[in-house]
Amino acid sequence: MENSKAFSLKNLGLGCLLTAAVSGCSEFDSSFAYSAKTESLIAEAQDGTDAAPGVKPTLDSRFGNPQQLKAWLKLPVEWGGASARVEAVASTDTEIRIRFTPEEGKSLPTEAGSVQFITGEGAGQTVAITKWDAQTGEAVLASLPEKSPASGDLCAIDGGAALQSGRVLYMRHCSHCHGTAGDGKGPTAEYLNPKPRDYRHGVFKFTSTNDQSKVSREDLLRVLKYGIPGTYMPSFLLMKDEELHAIVEYVRFLAMRGEYERKLVNELASDYSEKSVSDRLKDEKRSDIVQELNEFLKDEFPATADSLGDELGEVWTAADTEDAKIIPSVPRVPDSPESRRRGRALYLSSTLNCADCHGIDGAGNGPQTLAFEKNPVSGELYKEAGLHDEWDNLNQPRNLQRGIFRGGRRPIDLFCRIHAGIKGSRMPSFKNTPHEDIWHIVNYLLSLQFESEPGAIAAAPAAAAEAAPAAAGD
Amino acid sequence: MKKFWALFFWFWPLVALYVCLIAPSRGWWFPSEPLSTLGHQIDGLFYLILIIVTVTFVGTQAALGYALWKGATKGSSQKAWFSHGSHKLEIIWTIVPAFVLVFISLTQLDVLADIRVLSKFPDSVQNSPVAEVMARQFEWRIRYPKPGTKLMNEPQPGDLYFVNEVHVPAAVPTMINLRTQDVQHAFFAPRLRVKQDAVPGLIIPVWFEIEKAGEYELLCAELCGWGHYKMKARIIADSQKGVDEYLTRLELEQNEDGVADAEASAE
Repeated sequence: MENSKAFSLKNLGLGCLLTAAVSGCSEFDSSFAYSAKTESLIAEAQDGTDAAPGVKPTLDSRFGNPQQLKAWLKLPVEWGGASARVEAVASTDTEIRIRFTPEEGKSLPTEAGSVQFITGEGAGQTVAITKWDAQTGEAVLASLPEKSPASGDLCAIDGGAALQSGRVLYMRHCSHCHGTAGDGKGPTAEYLNPKPRDYRHGVFKFTSTNDQSKVSREDLLRVLKYGIPGTYMPSFLLMKDEELHAIVEYVRFLAMRGEYERKLVNELASDYSEKSVSDRLKDEKRSDIVQELNEFLKDEFPATADSLGDELGEVWTAADTEDAKIIPSVPRVPDSPESRRRGRALYLSSTLNCADCHGIDGAGNGPQTLAFEKNPVSGELYKEAGLHDEWDNLNQPRNLQRGIFRGGRRPIDLFCRIHAGIKGSRMPSFKNTPHEDIWHIVNYLLSLQFESEPGAIAAAPAAAAEAAPAAAGD
Repeated sequence: MKKFWALFFWFWPLVALYVCLIAPSRGWWFPSEPLSTLGHQIDGLFYLILIIVTVTFVGTQAALGYALWKGATKGSSQKAWFSHGSHKLEIIWTIVPAFVLVFISLTQLDVLADIRVLSKFPDSVQNSPVAEVMARQFEWRIRYPKPGTKLMNEPQPGDLYFVNEVHVPAAVPTMINLRTQDVQHAFFAPRLRVKQDAVPGLIIPVWFEIEKAGEYELLCAELCGWGHYKMKARIIADSQKGVDEYLTRLELEQNEDGVADAEASAE
């Protein structure tokens, strides 16, 4: 897309200065940055030894780079494209014609740009299609593949097309904050507070899934559509649905890539980081350590890397199932002063202890906001007082009096925040609290904004009944 | 060569005249026909000014060309006439433009009052905004009053919220309250010819009457930061019934407790 823009400007013939400036922007190769933890490994662990690849080549072979994305089929990403089988091949010296049949229950796309052979002699080859007839499934290939495919071979037509379109949209709309690799370090990020999400932990805050589950596609789509009030994440409501879906898939791809990288590094970090190697050098020889690493990479690492991928695939698949979704066991308790009072009592109770962080009046100024926390990874105290999130950013509890709820203001949104907690933040899950009690708290939280003074719950039920027409209608 | 410059300066007013004449039919001036009642008045003003400017441009260029032509055809023995310091001329070229400017400023007063002055708004919309449009970096957050109640300046229990999409009734005057949460923005609906700055700390009433139901672009027209370009929303004009239905839907959605939904999908 960037190319086509540059091209049309060139056609205007606005002089070489503009042409140079534009083409300078259109042609550059971006890359996925590796995490700091990956870079902290010794070079042999990062790049691998002669015998076996290390973290970086393993990662690259499974995820590719932004120009050349790879589809690792273990992962539940909708790569796009259609799978089909070769029905008949007719080749002459100059051209090769293939007739495809769609996989059972699927159909052939109306347009096709390339075909990738997955099984058979020609496996792994990608060839451009010059002519495509969607009716008959007949394609003329642009060039002769090195090894001719045979009938019955499985192939992907326009494989990865959805992910690639997601990448194009992501680079245009998202990467300037969230970064090319989804590390939350785009050029704009420096100026923002709160910081843009770093997807590489695979953790997203506002989900409708259980506390142990990943984010669902629906949750990501919701955030894209409606934005996150109170932050810099704007709404992308005006984009087309298929564009939003493509971005969601690409964000999931980046999140899985980042999470996989972290898991891979964790396998090596304790023994082969620069720091631990320099410690070990006191009574070991470097060549011995490298030899040991070499054997680990050769024997154990590939199987571990595969099983980590399987695990990742499982948890991310599970997030989109009904089992992961939070469904309250009782409908919302109709809003009333009694319910709100109940909610406030629970809010202040020592079992839930919401006030410890959010403050007695819900102003987000509880005693915990003044405490100095320990970084759970490094064990050192944070420089500033207050609560920190998984990304080590200061992340103070929400001021509930403002009426701004980042994850959405629907009762179910607040229910999910309490039930599952806010992942990656210090807001814990209260999944063992009876659902009715959670609804009382939700009613209280929704009324907090309208209290005449802190803790003053409206006595008149009329006003309260108005605030919950749907619930009252039950 | 001397005559060339006279012809050169005569050529351009002809081009300008031609462009002015064909531009409206080609849609060069405006993104579309004006689609709100105020839009017709605003376009009328635009065309009035365009005519004045065209006449002035053509007139001055013709005079310039005439002077050059005369100079070019004069014999070299004739002395030049210097007008510098002529009080009479200076009074003429001060008073004539002054009259033109006063004329324009008086003519547009009514239209400006119709757009900006609250007491001149149609009676039906005065003090009854249908929604609050809150601009923020970089989106439009909309707040509707709970159906059956009036919009208050402060959020009320039961208010309905949405983002980047505002539903208003078509074919009747409609007023919204424009605010901003952070910096200056501008509410700009090109096809409706509505453009109003949103200023921090102010609640600015904006009214318009959209002639036809449909979808209209809403843009930010004040450079408000790095994401200015993505600050885009849509105005959806619908029948009053359609708007009411939309608000009922929105109210249901906003009170979603996740249970009814799950039951419906389980059935």
